Amino acid sequence: MNLALTEMRRAKTRFGLLTGAVGLLVYLILFQQALSGGLIEQFIGALKHQSADVLVYNAQARKNLEGSIILPEQQAAVGSVPGVAVVEPLGEDTFTVLAGGEEQDAVVFGYVLDGPGAPTTLVEGRLPAGGFEAVASSRNAADGFDIGDEVTVLVGPGAEVEPVVFTVVGLARDINYSVAPVLFTDYTSYEAAKRTVNPDAAAVLPTVMAVAVADGASSAEVAAAITAAVPGTEALTRQQAVDESPGVASVRQSFNVILLLFYLVIPLVTGLFFLIVTFQKANSLTLLRAIGSPAGPLVRALLTQVVLVVLGGGVIATILFALSSGATNSLGVRPEPGPVITTVVVVLVLALLTSLAAVRRVLRIDPIAAVSGTGVQV
Amino acid sequence: MGLALRELRRRPSRFTVATVVLTFLTLLLLLLGGLLDGLYLGSTGAIRAQQADVIVYSSNARDSFLRSRIDGDLRSVVEGVDGVSEVGGLGVLLLGGEVPGSDEIADVAVIGFETPPRGVPDVPAAGRAWADERLRDAGVDLGDTILVGPARSPIVVDGFVDDTNYLLQGGLWVDLDTWRATQNANRPDAFVADDVVQVLVVSGTGDLAGAIDGATAGATSTLTRDEAVTALPGVREQNATFSAIIYSTIAVVLAVVGLFFSLLTLERTALYGVLKAVGARTRTLFGGVVAQAVTVALIAFALGSLLALLAGAALPAGIPLQLTAGRFAFTLVALVVAAVLGSAISLRRVIRIDPASAIGSAS
Repeated sequence: MNLALTEMRRAKTRFGLLTGAVGLLVYLILFQQALSGGLIEQFIGALKHQSADVLVYNAQARKNLEGSIILPEQQAAVGSVPGVAVVEPLGEDTFTVLAGGEEQDAVVFGYVLDGPGAPTTLVEGRLPAGGFEAVASSRNAADGFDIGDEVTVLVGPGAEVEPVVFTVVGLARDINYSVAPVLFTDYTSYEAAKRTVNPDAAAVLPTVMAVAVADGASSAEVAAAITAAVPGTEALTRQQAVDESPGVASVRQSFNVILLLFYLVIPLVTGLFFLIVTFQKANSLTLLRAIGSPAGPLVRALLTQVVLVVLGGGVIATILFALSSGATNSLGVRPEPGPVITTVVVVLVLALLTSLAAVRRVLRIDPIAAVSGTGVQV
Repeated sequence: MGLALRELRRRPSRFTVATVVLTFLTLLLLLLGGLLDGLYLGSTGAIRAQQADVIVYSSNARDSFLRSRIDGDLRSVVEGVDGVSEVGGLGVLLLGGEVPGSDEIADVAVIGFETPPRGVPDVPAAGRAWADERLRDAGVDLGDTILVGPARSPIVVDGFVDDTNYLLQGGLWVDLDTWRATQNANRPDAFVADDVVQVLVVSGTGDLAGAIDGATAGATSTLTRDEAVTALPGVREQNATFSAIIYSTIAVVLAVVGLFFSLLTLERTALYGVLKAVGARTRTLFGGVVAQAVTVALIAFALGSLLALLAGAALPAGIPLQLTAGRFAFTLVALVVAAVLGSAISLRRVIRIDPASAIGSAS
């Protein structure tokens, strides 16, 4: 231990640079992991945390709420598919609203009260019991979406229509959609909001149909049956709707590729650094072996340095992560101890594994080389 | 300098470590940049292609195309503003489209226009469209009829244009009446009347934005083309986030170069002492270190670029990776700058080498 620490103290620049590089790389891993999870949660939280077992999209929508409408004949046909216990319309659209005295975007979900499609993560207040009441995303409570706040749907200049005003009666966790504030309200109020911003609308059609499956029925099987039975529709279980939302799969794949590369680079940098340092210390290590030092303490010193460098990098990464997460809170980046510890442990294990090359070199040192005059070979 | 480069040629294994690590970091930088470019270019093409000076939204739309509505009366006011020379309507509709011979639904953006954007021919006949090249990947060919939306509205492809997509959906450029008919058939809840467009693209002189918003008494919100690009959902956040990751990775490159060349310099301390003792100048020795760092960076860039191109070909089509010449140039410059700065960490050690101490210590 003393040997390891003494060397690190005397070569501050080298070990400082390595610790800094590892710290930055671990930080980038932590940040991207959190960003990936947070972005996905912020993009599709409302889908993930609503009560319908199955959502029926228009097949043309490519699993995208914004592009889906369910035609009247499709609405009627879904209810007659075996395994469907309850089917109700679910509407979704983005509106410009006045909340907290400011114009903002808000995504409004309209569901039939007591039917499928209600928010499931209520943390305060209650669900809507009547028209123009809403549950809002708790993340946006401070932005004019707290319980008791009134949110007004804005209409075009000169439009002669009664404004639609929602009163927030409850808050639910993780129900944002497209990173915007969300209001869950009853379907009739949603229709009213749609007509307010577009008085010429020929009809307000449901975005998707929300299905509760019968007791004992499998959501996946019912979804498959609906897709097969109702032309022009694509039914997805709640989990499928989340996983296959446009953007989610590609965001996950993109971040996984990047993370894999970062996980490769860290042990590579660490392992190769210690290999070079071992080469450079070959003369000293051989001399130590020649005067009686066993290989064990030398290997332990090496591994101690690996652990200290990675843990030092982990501390730097955690500090950077905590600092930057404040600035990116709107994207759902939250520092949590679990992922931080897991990441540092994984990086440490990988670094120790790649340091085995340096360990092997230390073990191969032949003490006789110190006195044979043939030069040190490691 | 010659000595340093000769060392690189004769003992390349000494530099393998730094080259391998920098190759991975180059690959990371290119993939990160490629994702950013893919997201940005694929989302903003339809706006970047506009030749107008400003884009006029209705004030309640919060600069969203899909929520904006400008009727004939409002358009007349804009047309009458001093300095306005040309006004065109624009409307966008995001839908799926059935492509002949393909089982997959294609993501299309039906864009109605009056004044042709850069690279787009004149307005096509009713029911016909100029399709973006992106739609070729979805199987679209010249003369194909794409059935768009739940109402399966037919649109015939008359030709192809490039870099005109909207929010990662392939642009289908049609006349305004076709856009309205498609919108009303497929989105009856977002009906548009005959004289309505979503936004106006306006050319002219002077402070157009201020003059237009003033003339409409706040009924409009007018943005420059660049402002309209960053007003698209997610564009600003994507740029900020990916840029932060890219610049952090460049800092890692700097640290790695600094680390490896300080190790190499340490290893060569005695040799440098001898060289100084026989008259070599510090500037020459340090120049050699920088030359080696830059050479390693250039080799790593070449290898990393090759890997990035292979990765681009192998990654699933759903990943919006777009490797542009500009991104390669940026990465090259960033690597070279980081290599020079990183190798400068060795400068202090090279300066401190005392030629006198070299006598009898070089091995």
